[in-house]
Amino acid sequence: MGRRRRAGTSASDKLRRFFASAPNPEDRFRALVESAPDAMVVLDPDGLVLVVNAQAEKLFGFARAELIGQAVEILVPERFRARHSGHRGHYFGDPRARPMGAGLELFARKRDGTEFAAEISLSPIATPAGTLVTAAIRDVSERKRNLDEQNRRMQEANRLKSEFLANMSHELRTPLNAVIGFAKLLYAGKAGPLTETQTEYLGDILNSSQHLLELINDILDLAKVESGRHELHVEEVAPTRIATEIKDILRGLAADKQLELRVEVSPDLATVRVDQKMLKQILYNYLSNAIKFTEEGGRVAMRIVPEGDQHFRIDVEDTGIGIRAVDIERLFVEFQQLDSSAAKRYPGTGLGLALTKRVVEAQGGSVSVRSTIGLGSTFSAILPRVVRTGEEGDASDVHGSGGTR
Amino acid sequence: MTSALILIVDDNATNLKLARVVLAGAGFEVRTANDAEEALHVLEVCRPRVVLTDIQLPGIDGLEFTRRLKGDPARSGLVVIALTAYAMVGDEERARAAGCDAYLTKPIDPDGLVRTVESFTSSPAPLKR
Repeated sequence: MGRRRRAGTSASDKLRRFFASAPNPEDRFRALVESAPDAMVVLDPDGLVLVVNAQAEKLFGFARAELIGQAVEILVPERFRARHSGHRGHYFGDPRARPMGAGLELFARKRDGTEFAAEISLSPIATPAGTLVTAAIRDVSERKRNLDEQNRRMQEANRLKSEFLANMSHELRTPLNAVIGFAKLLYAGKAGPLTETQTEYLGDILNSSQHLLELINDILDLAKVESGRHELHVEEVAPTRIATEIKDILRGLAADKQLELRVEVSPDLATVRVDQKMLKQILYNYLSNAIKFTEEGGRVAMRIVPEGDQHFRIDVEDTGIGIRAVDIERLFVEFQQLDSSAAKRYPGTGLGLALTKRVVEAQGGSVSVRSTIGLGSTFSAILPRVVRTGEEGDASDVHGSGGTR
Repeated sequence: MTSALILIVDDNATNLKLARVVLAGAGFEVRTANDAEEALHVLEVCRPRVVLTDIQLPGIDGLEFTRRLKGDPARSGLVVIALTAYAMVGDEERARAAGCDAYLTKPIDPDGLVRTVESFTSSPAPLKR
């Protein structure tokens, strides 16, 4: 402790020696600003420029004399100026070190009127006469260009992958057509009478090809949603009707396992505006999944209820095997069935939940799951009551638009 | 009742054979072609009630082939059924827009194929205008 104190004192002595030659505090302050690696601008509470450094002159193309005493808005693109002064007043009301316009894309303006993407850090300096603010400005246009380019390439790669999957699915269905078709002909006795064993083996071929076909269809669906080729067909839909339809399709499957299957739709949800096919797919995937992972004699219940004024909620609850907490985040990822022994007991493509998530998100919703090992799971989806299609969407990032996202 | 004549167009030999076996097995008379060009030659010498065509064909594709058949006044009343493994959104709409009377996806269900073809052949052929 004592040693550190001595060291501190000596550092402070040294600093005093270094600056002893500087004639006054103002020059010392200027020297400090001048030495900063970034472009620096120091403002008074009225937004007038008091000090700039050489880096700022270089970055903005203004001579020092042209900036000193000017309102800082001279460095802000015209369209943002009015709002900028408002934000400035706000900052002086609660001055603390922070990046400017968190979450927003900021732009600064050079002397010749050109703009660049900027990253700006603000910090207050308390002086006996009041608070000043220093702004450190960095040109991030190149970094931003690189990021945009990287982003564009990733999107393109993703699109190509989806297109490849879609084409692949098509290529796979072509030979499967003959496999399934001829097997069905044989199975139906169209090529002559069969022994019991031949019928059994043909049944195995048909079951396996049917599974293969489902896999291919799921991949195709996933690729469609991913490549954005799955356009939304938003229309007025009665959830009760869809829920009943899906329940009817799956009733046999539930009866085979002596499961109690219950479906409840809140009377407050007469109609919603969603993509009907997608809603069916969500209900079907959740419900068939719950039936698959629930042991004989268990219960599966689906509830569709309002969630606030703008949304509705789908809950599918089962008394199935449950999911370990660590596995929950892997659930909605493609091709991940949680453990291979379960995969053997419960055949499936491993795509159903990933697909459900995509389909829910494509409509502006979200998915979640709660589960207790051995007791069961509840899979949920929250969807807007009125799904907006892409064209109605609105995403504008502007300098100084105010809010923090 | 004489059995209706069906022309099947598919570039995949095995799938062509499957459709032929299924429809011949159901009592239809069947002609086949491997692509649209060959089909057009077949159509010069015989008049099928139904053309069952794959959409993805080399050269003239199934949609263009359908448009040509449907645009030919001498062939009014000819039924075109599209058969495709390509089940993307909008494909059926495109097939219908090209003039297809029905749209089936592969893998085909043999009974379903027979029922669809029968639905177009069980009634007498419309009179040529």
